[in-house]
Amino acid sequence: MTSIKRMLADAAGHDSITSKVYIRSAKSGKVTKIVREIYLRTDIPCSSRLCRVCLLNAPVDSSNRSRPFVLSEKPAGTTVYPQGHYLMPDTNIFLQCMDAIEHKSAFYDVIVLQTVLEEVKNRSLPLYNRLVSLTKSDEKRFYVFHNEFRQETHVRRGQEESINDRNDRAIRVACKWYQKHIEQAAASSGIRAPAVVMLSNDKDNLAKASAEGLDCIDLQNYVKGLKNSDELLDMISSSLQDQERKANRGDNIYPEYFSISKMNTGVRNGTLHQGTFHTSTYNSLEGIVGVPTFDKHLLVTGLENMNRAVDGDLVVVELLPQDQWKRQSDKLVDQDTLTKNENADVDEVEAIVTERERRALVDEAKRIQRSQDESQKVQPTAKIVGVVKRNWRSYVGHIDPGSVNRAKSGGQQVVFFRPLDKKIPKIRVFTRQATQLLGQRIVVNIDSWDRTSRFPVGHFVRALGELETKEAETEALLLEWDVQYRPFPKAVLDCLPSEGHDWRVPEDKSHPGWHKRTDLRDLLICSIDPPGCQDIDDALHARLLPNGNYEVGVHIADVSNFVRPSNAMDSEAAQRGTTVYLVDKRIDMLPPLLGTDLCSLKPYVERYAFSVLWEMTPEAKIVNTIFTKSVIKSREAFAYKAAQMRIDDKSQTDPLTEGMRILLMLSKKLRQARMDAGALNLASPEVKVQMESETSDPASIEVKELLETNSLVEEFMLCANISVARKIYEAFPQTAMLRRHGAPPATNFDDLRSQLRARKNLDLHVESSKALADSLDACVDPQEPYFNTLVRIIATRCMVPAEYFSSGTQAYPEFRHYGLATDIYTHFTSPIRRYSDLAAHRQLAAAIDYEPLDESLYNKDKMDAVVKNLNVRHRNAQFAGRASVEYYVGQALKNKSTEEEGFVAKIFSNGFVVFVPRFGIEGTIRLESTKTFDADEYVLELEDGRKIVLFEKVRVRVDVVKEQATGRRKTELTLA
Amino acid sequence: MEGLRNDGRRWNELRRIHCQLSTSGSSADGSAYVEQGFTKVLCTVTGPAEPGSRQRGRSDGATVVCEVYFAAFSGTDRIKRGRNDKKVQELQTAVQKTFASVILTHLLARSEIAISLHVLSQDGGTLAACINATTLALIDAGIPMADYVCACTAGQPAIGLGGGSGGGDDDEPDPYLDVNYLEESDIPSLTVATVGGGEKVAVVSMESRVRIERLEAMLAVGISGCARVREIMDKEVRRYGKEKLDGTGE
Repeated sequence: MTSIKRMLADAAGHDSITSKVYIRSAKSGKVTKIVREIYLRTDIPCSSRLCRVCLLNAPVDSSNRSRPFVLSEKPAGTTVYPQGHYLMPDTNIFLQCMDAIEHKSAFYDVIVLQTVLEEVKNRSLPLYNRLVSLTKSDEKRFYVFHNEFRQETHVRRGQEESINDRNDRAIRVACKWYQKHIEQAAASSGIRAPAVVMLSNDKDNLAKASAEGLDCIDLQNYVKGLKNSDELLDMISSSLQDQERKANRGDNIYPEYFSISKMNTGVRNGTLHQGTFHTSTYNSLEGIVGVPTFDKHLLVTGLENMNRAVDGDLVVVELLPQDQWKRQSDKLVDQDTLTKNENADVDEVEAIVTERERRALVDEAKRIQRSQDESQKVQPTAKIVGVVKRNWRSYVGHIDPGSVNRAKSGGQQVVFFRPLDKKIPKIRVFTRQATQLLGQRIVVNIDSWDRTSRFPVGHFVRALGELETKEAETEALLLEWDVQYRPFPKAVLDCLPSEGHDWRVPEDKSHPGWHKRTDLRDLLICSIDPPGCQDIDDALHARLLPNGNYEVGVHIADVSNFVRPSNAMDSEAAQRGTTVYLVDKRIDMLPPLLGTDLCSLKPYVERYAFSVLWEMTPEAKIVNTIFTKSVIKSREAFAYKAAQMRIDDKSQTDPLTEGMRILLMLSKKLRQARMDAGALNLASPEVKVQMESETSDPASIEVKELLETNSLVEEFMLCANISVARKIYEAFPQTAMLRRHGAPPATNFDDLRSQLRARKNLDLHVESSKALADSLDACVDPQEPYFNTLVRIIATRCMVPAEYFSSGTQAYPEFRHYGLATDIYTHFTSPIRRYSDLAAHRQLAAAIDYEPLDESLYNKDKMDAVVKNLNVRHRNAQFAGRASVEYYVGQALKNKSTEEEGFVAKIFSNGFVVFVPRFGIEGTIRLESTKTFDADEYVLELEDGRKIVLFEKVRVRVDVVKEQATGRRKTELTLA
Repeated sequence: MEGLRNDGRRWNELRRIHCQLSTSGSSADGSAYVEQGFTKVLCTVTGPAEPGSRQRGRSDGATVVCEVYFAAFSGTDRIKRGRNDKKVQELQTAVQKTFASVILTHLLARSEIAISLHVLSQDGGTLAACINATTLALIDAGIPMADYVCACTAGQPAIGLGGGSGGGDDDEPDPYLDVNYLEESDIPSLTVATVGGGEKVAVVSMESRVRIERLEAMLAVGISGCARVREIMDKEVRRYGKEKLDGTGE
């Protein structure tokens, strides 16, 4: 028998193939060794416009095109490298200085090594995405060089060599190769070669590099050679800046985190628990962690137990012994009162618990012991032992003027940054521009939070403008809620129809646009929207059929006809997720050409639509449903009020008005059926800010009015959404884009129920949405009509938010929409302003065989990613909208002090929360001293004998003051 | 990654192919060993021989039987695949059907040709490697065939490598030739085998879903890959034949 002899001897001839061996250990503890082939090549270009050799060998794709070269032939110079230079940063530079690198004034002609790119990807996905978008943009000239795949620059890991050392060596080898290569290229064209500069902060690596004759420099020295070095230096992560200081720091304030393996084992054994940490809105020394093993949230009190966790972080907690369990605090505590006199620069003698805090905690413990029904209200407490994933982002806020040393004009100093979001602690920021930044709205990133530092440390990113200017505040708000507000890039605008505003529905019915489209132009269709609406998503019609039934049609803008799957416009829309409505501004999901013109179902013009046609009995039972793409011509665009007037006007008997009356009649029946099924009628305090038309300053505030026509449109939209949800779920059981609303856990209502019991002798039944709806209806106080609305507002806050999901990720019973009391639901009716609707459109189009479904909509993983983003965007858009209203309410009430009627919505031992219906605002009133507080009866007695009682009316004075903490004008309530 | 796949290849590049004939010497009538990347397959062929005692063989031609064995260590995870494993059975049927149609069975009436395949390592394209190994082993055994049967895989990435200048989003991304294990688990792919490296397709097999418009491009890329596989195999057969004829072999 002969043996198969080959391999090593044979492979020697193939020095273009090597293999990568790595070990992968799974979470389950299994370890796998993986060997992968790597093909080394010589045709990877250097991408410098100086080089002719690479240009000749540049690889081409199937249509024989090659990429244009990126790096300019005359890169910028610095004082150190006057001949010009290409930059080659190492991984840490990207991880720590991305903000500076993105700056417009510097960091051009950068070579991003594949080694570095992969390391960045493993360390931080958001930073990786930012780096990738830099390499894609043309202006910054970033080039990804695949050094691992180029024969000359591939580096094999030596024995006993750590991965980091190997990667550092790979960077040096690549740098060396580039240096030689560029020199040769420059020599052949007779120019002085630009330097290839390795940028690193690793002293070891720098020393080795200069020993090898490479151009290398550390970041500080590099940036000092640039023009606006002060600004750029501020943008560099503080972890780089005070490396030396860190070494001689004082005592550790916070307990050390557990190691990852210890946390993993603990979570697996059930001795530790993992969950998301949320800081309390009312008390900055307290937070909760929801974990699956407990019904109740775990309470985390005190900074030491919170152990450097920031709101939103994914943390691991350890339960405290039962004798340390507590009630949720009924005190208002805010950072301000605790840390008023602290100096940002002092970090040697900071004790973890300041005297003031300690007193607050002791007070509380005492009070708890006095309380009677301890066992009922006590909550398990826990301490945080590790952070699995940080939820740090960019924070918008301003510099605390008290922390700035004005006398010190030049040089670096440490200041406190106050984020707008009160749940975020103050951030220490090193800056050289402290005095310039005072009074500005600025953006800051957190870099780290060491055990030795009481506050997290961050760095300056950019300034938005003066505090309280409209532009700066709007931008701040958008940034704070991560709303993508930049103008649409060119790639997106290129996807628009070339005809622009002149686009028309083709006249010729043989045009491909008419393919499988029904001609519904003769139907009397109209749209009903809020006044001034430009992006009209939906239109309706109804008519009597000969058999006595009604034909009802809902026509939705056919956005999927213009936005093709997976092109640049689609990706941008998927990224934005939703249109964001602010008081004075709309941030569109789609370019305005589509949103307000071509897709918008404007009156008197023909438009493409996606229609849902039902045959309904006079009792509003659906007999038959048809889905079809169509062409419609809307006869009129009504505002809610105008539609209402038209219907109410008996003298109007034209077919269009008759159709609207049919719609109204049917919608009432639909609504009744829905209410009977247990749909909830919840309330949220909605107000509208009226703007003065000329100055666009906010003039007055109105509570939103609800007309019958509002609910007319709503009912048919719900009906269409439900019909579509059934259809797409039937066609795509695994990936249908649906929306669910989970039933809230009964414990969410505990507080509200005990409050209602104690105060009003009422109870809520929370077993089902029907029971809840009925018991909410019963929550009335004959003397106080507003009481019912107040309870509804509070009940709304006990709900879990509705969410998008793809049907494969949940079992059918979980599809239920609790609030609407329907077994299945989706969003279909607003594709201009919501991406989920666009996805539903595509799925419905495929379900009716209009066109094949794009791969992204039947791929589970991709759907999950889309859905996840949509949920985040949707929530952020809501918050941004609310914040905008809040800001403008503040502006409208500026300089107008009024006394208003409010209702007590929540009560603490040293204050209470008041809700003022007229302005839809809510405010906390803190009291310096109180006489007695009855926690079981929810009664607070003041020094002057007045009693503050939960749910009761109270007169308050509404003022607008500039809030110290956020630098934003805000309404402040005081007892009248 | 721009212009490069995860192992450094471009869209239209094959992996390293190594093949060898007569690896099992005298213990079988024909044998071959094929490596495509890290996919390694050993094939032995017995026959034409008298069929086993049970069957009597077809009077009009030879019967082809095939058995596939997966080594437990061949994949990333250690999995033992039994005789009734679905994947094993599918592979057996695919190889058996292909070669029953390509072998000139009418010349070998009442005989049996037994193909046995050992998959030693899997790194994507197992079926293709099995077909290629079988072709070589059959040649080694001297069994008359119409032509080489050469197989190759092609995959369809969702996002292009962006090797081109415009890289416009309306362009369909280029299909990948000869997918490795990582690509195979990530993107839809098909295996295609042609007879004689031309356009005569003997096998097409696909286990994932792909948009129908993309299929044609994938097939075209796969077929061109088959032609290149044929060249490599043909070169090895000629080298081996020459070595034998020169008597320089053992």
